Amino acid sequence: MTDDGTTTTLAERGEDTAAAPGHRERRRRGVTEQQRPLWMLIPGGLLMTLIIIIPLLLAVYISLIDLDQYTLRRWLEAPFIGLDNFVEAFQSGLPNSIWISVSFAVLSTAATVPFGIAAAVATQNAYRGRSLVRAVFLIPYVLPSFVVATVWRTMLQPDGIVNNLLAKANVDGGLWLSGPKSYWTLILVEIWAAWPFIYLMALAGLQSVDGEVHEASAIDGANWWPKLTHVILPYLRGPVLLACLLATLNHINNFTLPFVLFGAPAPDDVNVMPMIVYVTSFQSLRFGLSAAMAIVSLLIIAIPLFVYLRALRLDVHEEGGRK
Amino acid sequence: MTAPTRRRPAAGEAHRLLPPAVLFAVTVGLCAMVLIPLLYIVLASLNTDLGVASGEFWPSTFSLDSYTRIWTTADLSTGLLNSMLVCTFVAIASAVLGTMTAYVLVRYTFVGRITILRGLVGMQSIPGTLMLLPVFVLYSSAGNYLGVAVVGTRWGLFLAYLTFALPFSTWVMVTYLRGLPRELEEAGRMDGASTVRILFRIIVPLSLPAIVVSGIFAFLLGWNDVLFASVLTRPETQTAAVALSIFGATQEGGAIPVYSQVMAAALVTAAPVVILYLVFQRYLVGGLTAGGVK
Amino acid sequence: MALRRMRAVVALAGAVTLTAGLVACGGGDDEGGGGGEGKTLNVLIGANTQYPEEFQAWQKSVSDKFKAQTGATVEFETFATANDELTKIQTSVVAGSGPDVYAVGTTLTPTAYSTGAFVKLGDEQWDKIGGKDKFVPATLGISGPDEQNQVGVPWVSRPFVMVYNTEILKAAGISKPAATWDELTQHAKQLTTGDQYGLSVGYKDNFDPWKFVWGMSVQAGNPLVDGKTAKLTDPTTKKAYQTYFGWLTTDKVVNPAAIGWSNSQAIAEFAKGKTAYMALTSATAAKALDGGATKGKWSFALLPTVPPGATSRPANGVEAASILSGDNLLVADYSKNQDLAFEFVKLITDQEVQLEYYKAVGNLPANAAALDTLKSDQQLATVAEAAKKSVATPFTGAWADIQLALTNVVVQSIPDLSKGSVSDAQLDARLADAQKAAQSSLDRAK
Repeated sequence: MTDDGTTTTLAERGEDTAAAPGHRERRRRGVTEQQRPLWMLIPGGLLMTLIIIIPLLLAVYISLIDLDQYTLRRWLEAPFIGLDNFVEAFQSGLPNSIWISVSFAVLSTAATVPFGIAAAVATQNAYRGRSLVRAVFLIPYVLPSFVVATVWRTMLQPDGIVNNLLAKANVDGGLWLSGPKSYWTLILVEIWAAWPFIYLMALAGLQSVDGEVHEASAIDGANWWPKLTHVILPYLRGPVLLACLLATLNHINNFTLPFVLFGAPAPDDVNVMPMIVYVTSFQSLRFGLSAAMAIVSLLIIAIPLFVYLRALRLDVHEEGGRK
Repeated sequence: MTAPTRRRPAAGEAHRLLPPAVLFAVTVGLCAMVLIPLLYIVLASLNTDLGVASGEFWPSTFSLDSYTRIWTTADLSTGLLNSMLVCTFVAIASAVLGTMTAYVLVRYTFVGRITILRGLVGMQSIPGTLMLLPVFVLYSSAGNYLGVAVVGTRWGLFLAYLTFALPFSTWVMVTYLRGLPRELEEAGRMDGASTVRILFRIIVPLSLPAIVVSGIFAFLLGWNDVLFASVLTRPETQTAAVALSIFGATQEGGAIPVYSQVMAAALVTAAPVVILYLVFQRYLVGGLTAGGVK
Repeated sequence: MALRRMRAVVALAGAVTLTAGLVACGGGDDEGGGGGEGKTLNVLIGANTQYPEEFQAWQKSVSDKFKAQTGATVEFETFATANDELTKIQTSVVAGSGPDVYAVGTTLTPTAYSTGAFVKLGDEQWDKIGGKDKFVPATLGISGPDEQNQVGVPWVSRPFVMVYNTEILKAAGISKPAATWDELTQHAKQLTTGDQYGLSVGYKDNFDPWKFVWGMSVQAGNPLVDGKTAKLTDPTTKKAYQTYFGWLTTDKVVNPAAIGWSNSQAIAEFAKGKTAYMALTSATAAKALDGGATKGKWSFALLPTVPPGATSRPANGVEAASILSGDNLLVADYSKNQDLAFEFVKLITDQEVQLEYYKAVGNLPANAAALDTLKSDQQLATVAEAAKKSVATPFTGAWADIQLALTNVVVQSIPDLSKGSVSDAQLDARLADAQKAAQSSLDRAK
């Protein structure tokens, strides 16, 4: 990847903040003295170029041609149609799907954070059976999506176990898998399946809390809440923020869950982006159009993502409370 | 060893984060949330297909049939073996490459550093459905033009998963390494140790929790993928997830799907991951101890 | 420190072993030698989870036979769902490599044909597989758009039939199962009492609902596609949807929970023995029926062939007892083993192997002679008759989209169904959407 001047200044600016103030001088010297082991970037960089960037460029090209079942066989000869696919994508249900996807992803992430942190904090101190509890917490995450979806689909049937239990409490469960409520079903199941991700990241973050911090702030059990929120949680800000960001991206791109939970064609309320991309691509066989849809959504996600990253300086900030 | 400041309280009686009552409530609540649907899976795996299809929670007849039949319905044992092999490698390789890449990104300045950092996050927003066709074209081109068969091989799958896991692994390591004090390495550097030596002697032991996390996620990425595995493998190289999806087969005309076997197979495929986690969790938790005190 | 070193050694040993495994296994994928012997033929067929052992035994037997005949090895790959297969077809077609022979569902055949990536069957090819005459004539109905452009060799049939609970009908004094849709509705009304329902329907199934709508429409003279024009807003189609929804909303002959059922759940409901009728999309459900409370109490009948609202079929109506349903065999044109592929197709469409397959998994032979030998079985006679009265869906590359649009009408109507009615305006709007989608796909069709 080459860079123009602007990025270079950006990089330097980033580096200034990255190096803790006290070390800046020494760092500068260190770099000039020592050869930078940039070769260590090569294996990873090569792989990502070959298997992510090149296919991505190919996908961009596909989004510009009229690739469908009729041109599939000689796809290199498929007519180049410029931005037509993008225009069609916007006229189709794509904007609506993006809205559903983004709101679903953000809500899911927001809802999983308390669960993840609570679980991490609850398993921080040793007690009998803790490793078992930790393993239990991991289970939703290691079950394949399609199993999770099958299970919930069965449980949320109109005559399924959930509605049967609700009926005993004199509540009419109604339809979970069709109509407006299906959106909330999707979020609920996603929360169930995805909170251990936040949990694992928070757990890793908790390990970086020094023993002294505990000792210094450990007075007695009564003030656990201020201690937790003011002393411990700041340590988790970095890892959990990262986890949130990545979790949101994972939610947005989660295809298996809505697909198995609701099937294709999906109810309009849960016609999330991966669904519409998948159906366009692998059921309607409009690869060009579906690639355009995927790229539009990629851009729409990426733009706020980068603005956010810059504003937060997530890629350059120092870990909270670290020396 | 170094890092004398880092140690964990022994069993931490005095440093409990939560009062017992809260701890109890949180643990029980979360366990219930996980275990109730899990109980359903277990019960369904002991039920008959017809029983599950008709919406029973408590089976009218219990049987272990499904657990014996899953092995013939799909080639689950081959799948488990392949998944184990491929994913273990992905986990190790992505942890190693991720640590190397992250170390350079955190400790050195160079042109394009920030672009790469941002790119790492950006790459994770690429949907798999967009990549499937191009990656397949790329792989089969390698077969057609270079004469290297990639499609259908384990290492082809390994490369794909490794690459998809790398942005995340690297990011985890970047956030973690940034927090490690620089003094530790600089002591080593004074002694004239090479970068690689510093990396593996000083950084890696201190970063075990993050390495294990990135390894686990890389492992799971490969373990749960169906989309790529279904087109990049052949019967003898298929993964557990593909074998598992066979249980979800909707035969045209739709006789009753083998629900009970789906659940049994899901539990069987989830088991290795849970066991692996149980094995590794002491590293995850005790990573800093291992590096610092012992 | 010693402990640490030991751990490192163990880890290293582990890594080495794993590497050895990865490399060794990676090396095992050779494509076979160059000569006539030792070639490998890759065949993609649907997984069978109902009879896995029998299915594998059949694969083994076919492989052995083929090996003895040609010296080549057959390698079977299986796919889980039609979507998986479509994905595989697409990636293989783009890349120009993949399975040599595909078993493709009949309704998917037009889509596969439209890619132009499968060998067209001329006289030469038909001769290689033993001639067109060896097949049940009806099964050839969806091999291609016309006689000159065929790609699909019929392999198995899975016609639709209706199943009824003999005891329930007998108890109500109904001697003959319904023969028209109206009669079916009326029987169902009569048989719905207490916890017993007249019909079992899987409204939330992702594959089935359109099949009945298509059937009722075509019986009323509207095959949904006329040349390049979609006819989804036709009154016949609307009537079909109204009938299909009406069972639940106005006639109330279906369990209200059916709005959440897939086809298999509807079968499970029928198998509880508390339902009089069900329209099946495959006779292979027999296994499930014998596994439930309906054991020995069920019988097959043809699906009604007189459209709803009529007592006899209109002049332009078609006697469609079923969609032409089953699998065709297609040979990929990128295949380097086309001769072998056709030899294989011949082998598995010959009487002997067809009967073997029927015995293994219960799919009806497309081979005429093989089907004839099965006539003695009473239940089967009905299924065989349905096979003969099967009608092909329109042969257009747009069919996949049309199917999707038809199903979508049902999917989006479910919340209204649960509220008790789908209004005329709602149905019209959804049909208009479906029409638009279908027409735009037809416009693109080449």
